[in-house]
Amino acid sequence: MATVYIDGNRHDADAKQNMLHVSLSLGYDLPFFCWHPAMGSIGACRQCAVKQFKDEKDTKGRLVMACLTPALEDTRISIADQEAQEFRAAIIEGLMLHHPHDCPVCDEGGECHLQDMTYLTGHAYRRYRFQKRTYRNQFLGPFVNHEMNRCIQCYRCVRFYRGYAGEHDLNSFSIHHTVYFGRHEDGILESEFSGNLAEVCPTGVFTDRTLGQHYTRKWDQTYAPSICHSCGVGCNISPGQRDGIVRRILNRYNHEVNGYFICDRGRFSYEYVNSPERIRAPLVRRGDEREVIEKDEAVKIFAEMLGSGEDVIGIGSPRASLEANFALRALVGADRFFSGFSTGEQRLIELMLSIMQTVHVPSLREVEACDAVLILGEDVTNVAARMALALRQSARREPQKKALAARVPLWDDLGVRQVTGDAIGPVFIAFPCATRLDDVAEATYRGRPDQIAQFGYAVAAAIHSGAPPANTDASAQALVKRIAEALRTAERPLVVSGATLRNEAIIGAAANIVYALEREGRSAGLAFTMPEANTCGLGLMRARALEEALESRVQYGTVVILENDLYRRATAAIVDEFLARAGNVVVLDQVNTRTAARANLVLPVASFAESAGTLVNFESRAQRFFPVLPPSDVQESWRWITDVATRRGEFGSWNSLDDVTAAVEQEMPIFRGITAAAPPSSYRIAGEKIPRQPHRYSGRTATLVNISIHEPPPPDDPDSPLAYSMEGYTYKAPASALPFLWAPGWNSARALLKFQEEINGPLRGGPVGIRLIRGDRRGAPEFFSGAPEPVNAPERRWLAVPIYHLFGSDELTHWAPAISSLAPQPYVAVNERAGFRDGAPVAFQSDGATQTAVIKIRSEIPDGVAAVPAGLRETETLRLPAWISIEAI
Amino acid sequence: MTRATGFLPMPSILHDIADTALTLAAGFKVTLKNLFRPTVTEDYPSEPPRFEQRFRGLHILQRDESGLEKCVACFLCAAACPSNCIYIEAAENTSENRISAGERYAAVYNIDYNRCIFCGYCVEACPTDAITHGHGFELATYNVTELIYRKEQLLASPASPAQF
Ligand code: SF4
Ligand code: SF4
Ligand code: SF4
Ligand code: SF4
Ligand code: FES
Repeated sequence: MATVYIDGNRHDADAKQNMLHVSLSLGYDLPFFCWHPAMGSIGACRQCAVKQFKDEKDTKGRLVMACLTPALEDTRISIADQEAQEFRAAIIEGLMLHHPHDCPVCDEGGECHLQDMTYLTGHAYRRYRFQKRTYRNQFLGPFVNHEMNRCIQCYRCVRFYRGYAGEHDLNSFSIHHTVYFGRHEDGILESEFSGNLAEVCPTGVFTDRTLGQHYTRKWDQTYAPSICHSCGVGCNISPGQRDGIVRRILNRYNHEVNGYFICDRGRFSYEYVNSPERIRAPLVRRGDEREVIEKDEAVKIFAEMLGSGEDVIGIGSPRASLEANFALRALVGADRFFSGFSTGEQRLIELMLSIMQTVHVPSLREVEACDAVLILGEDVTNVAARMALALRQSARREPQKKALAARVPLWDDLGVRQVTGDAIGPVFIAFPCATRLDDVAEATYRGRPDQIAQFGYAVAAAIHSGAPPANTDASAQALVKRIAEALRTAERPLVVSGATLRNEAIIGAAANIVYALEREGRSAGLAFTMPEANTCGLGLMRARALEEALESRVQYGTVVILENDLYRRATAAIVDEFLARAGNVVVLDQVNTRTAARANLVLPVASFAESAGTLVNFESRAQRFFPVLPPSDVQESWRWITDVATRRGEFGSWNSLDDVTAAVEQEMPIFRGITAAAPPSSYRIAGEKIPRQPHRYSGRTATLVNISIHEPPPPDDPDSPLAYSMEGYTYKAPASALPFLWAPGWNSARALLKFQEEINGPLRGGPVGIRLIRGDRRGAPEFFSGAPEPVNAPERRWLAVPIYHLFGSDELTHWAPAISSLAPQPYVAVNERAGFRDGAPVAFQSDGATQTAVIKIRSEIPDGVAAVPAGLRETETLRLPAWISIEAI
Repeated sequence: MTRATGFLPMPSILHDIADTALTLAAGFKVTLKNLFRPTVTEDYPSEPPRFEQRFRGLHILQRDESGLEKCVACFLCAAACPSNCIYIEAAENTSENRISAGERYAAVYNIDYNRCIFCGYCVEACPTDAITHGHGFELATYNVTELIYRKEQLLASPASPAQF
């Protein structure tokens, strides 16, 4: 702590910070451009100039950049100083010389940091009378739009893209007043985090291209606090809609999870909500035809199909909320509720969950602080992208220690990078193929899943002699020692693993490494990726495995399938047989999946944008999401199930989400606390709900006048403390129910700093999410026994392992045009020693079925391994890993 | 001598006559003066009314010299409107279908004249001088839904760019 003086006011400040950080944390309005709370200062824009005084007696002072002034004891600055104000106004005027001033046609307008800063400094008239410099804009792919003339050369984009997200295809070019930010040529941005440029860039150079296709101003959108449904990280998001069309997704700050950034899958996933492939009305099969029916009739038919309920089973879904799964479980009975995980997946997930009770599972904020990492058998970028971005920051921790030793504060980005250069810390990756994180890995290990498991066991044994030994090939021994040493000597070691390779021994090995470290007296973190939004939540329900139902040969009367395409969970032959065996198939889903097409009754289910519920993320954090679209006949699964149950006279007292959430908590002790994940629907601020619409929302009375000139009352929302209106207060709203950010004078996303307790700290207004597993069963758990002996590959056979694709493997984003345009075509990747030509069409056998694909040569893949993309649209699901034979066709 | 009653004294009568004549003359002076002045009464509805230039009547969405719509769908008028009665939906111009000179144009532009208070804020906000107040004012209708004016009703005809 240090005592600092700002405009004569005395404050306590964090001495490890700079004066811009301190001033903004304290609520002063000091303009800035190049400083970013997650990326520190470089002093490029000169916008944060303040007067600094030597001591009390100094009246003259000198101009300094607040973002480069450490908050040391007795630092005295003035923001209001006349000269400083004039300097800042002059800087803006300079930045604006070549600015196109085209706010009306600029997608940033109304949420532009440059507009806010211009207003804040008071610059109003442009005196420059000469021709403006102009640039050519680039095509940067389906996500990001480029309008280079608006650039103010703050360098934030390249600092994020290269320095923070570690991708290389965006750079600054040229010099002086012609500096250009773009790619070396037109082309699709390669980073999985490119969408963040729209929020990082303080101007309208980089904007959300998908928003541009149905453009609506920030103030005209209706927002809701939501959770990304596209993977198990559980990033917090703010979708915005107008007229029933979801327009975009913005990052919603949660300092424990996603912080300031989300991945492109999450940001652009919303497009599927608007898809024509969505199911909008109940459908019933009559003969070969499917007929659209009324909601009431659908509930009646559903109730009839349930009959006495004797031979009814329910299949849950890891992409549906806790409430939806629980409602189905309550409808069919716990012993007739099956999880809906893929074949073989459930065992792994339950194993991971039981390990999580015995270790410390770090949040992403903690992951970022780790200084040694082993990623064992997981391709983090493609399964849990935001976690990969956090791991990139972990890779910088060790080198940063050198900077700290050289007395360079961590906020001084330029200084730190001068000391560290491109150095990376001890990050190690063991995976059969190259991953997108390899560039920050000190070393990688390639092997088949069973070899990776052995490798993991060997690391554990090298850390602690009590851990079961393993046989790794001699060539890997040195690496094993190096990793063991790095993890043992680190301050915060971390192991990351997951279920991607479908290998139990890998998960056991990851646990053993952490157990071994704990026995050595080190406190280590263990993070497992979770592939789907509620994998963790559904796993904690301990339902029966889907395979049991699929392979049981029992004649079920009615099968109720909740938001799940079984054809993605098991092979087509098995699912076909299962569905044919069932008397009635009821599918509740959002899009017309292959399973829905086979159903006797299809009920249209709300997407994340239309529903409320609770999801549990990879660290067992229960988080609530709320609807952004007003209620319609497309309703939440739990509401359909409640409707039919009410009709049958069962669980009568469920009227709103709060009732269902409370029932989950009551019935299943593991979920104790989830009701506190967000305020209940009865929550009010000064008697009012929290508004979903900004106070400048326009056209309110004119929107529906073509239907009726009587302004309808805002739709009722029994499930959330939010209103579909502009009346009420957001400023004091609880963090977990904050729909959008706006503060006086701060129209851009940077309004966030008015909502944080301090910069980079938690939001004011309580916790965001509730941790369910606290790792309290710690203390010397038993080691997992040794891994099975590696098997030798049979002649001309390959072990097919699933490879995930951020764009392509997620089910619902198949219907999101921008994302699906980047999905790969089906392929089989092998190394060149397999004897195939790159691009050659091949057929391969698996589970008796023949699939076709093209060969992709990836030389890093070990002999005897074939990588097969998982979950692509219109490809058959394989039971992987499996030994396959590949034939040229 | 007996005093004759009923007769007013002579000087008083003369005074009254003079007074009346003067009053009449003053009155007729106004009449006569106005008899030779130009008429200010409007013969509405037989003849169209005349307005001052800055009269704020029904809005007109203007076109530019080449006939393109001036509105670029920036939503600023809708944001400025204090009675929230302007509703816009934007769409993108393409080279095959160019409606305005900007990136976007207003695919839908409604003004709800049930609510419009003719304050002129929208006109003031418009960066392209697209929305203007014209001189139309005959809004009366038996059916209030007709008071929702669509873009088609508000748009200047392609033939004569600047209109009032
Ligand atoms: S970047 Fe900001 S200031 Fe520049 S044109 Fe766009 S909205 Fe206006
Ligand atoms: S493109 Fe945006 S982020 Fe990059 S330098 Fe220009 S203004 Fe800054
Ligand atoms: S990392 Fe996962 S949860 Fe986060 S934005 Fe991406 S897909 Fe969504
Ligand atoms: S302010 Fe002008 S250009 Fe913008 S939407 Fe309104 S009429 Fe169109
Ligand atoms: S914010 Fe301080 S110089 Fe840019």
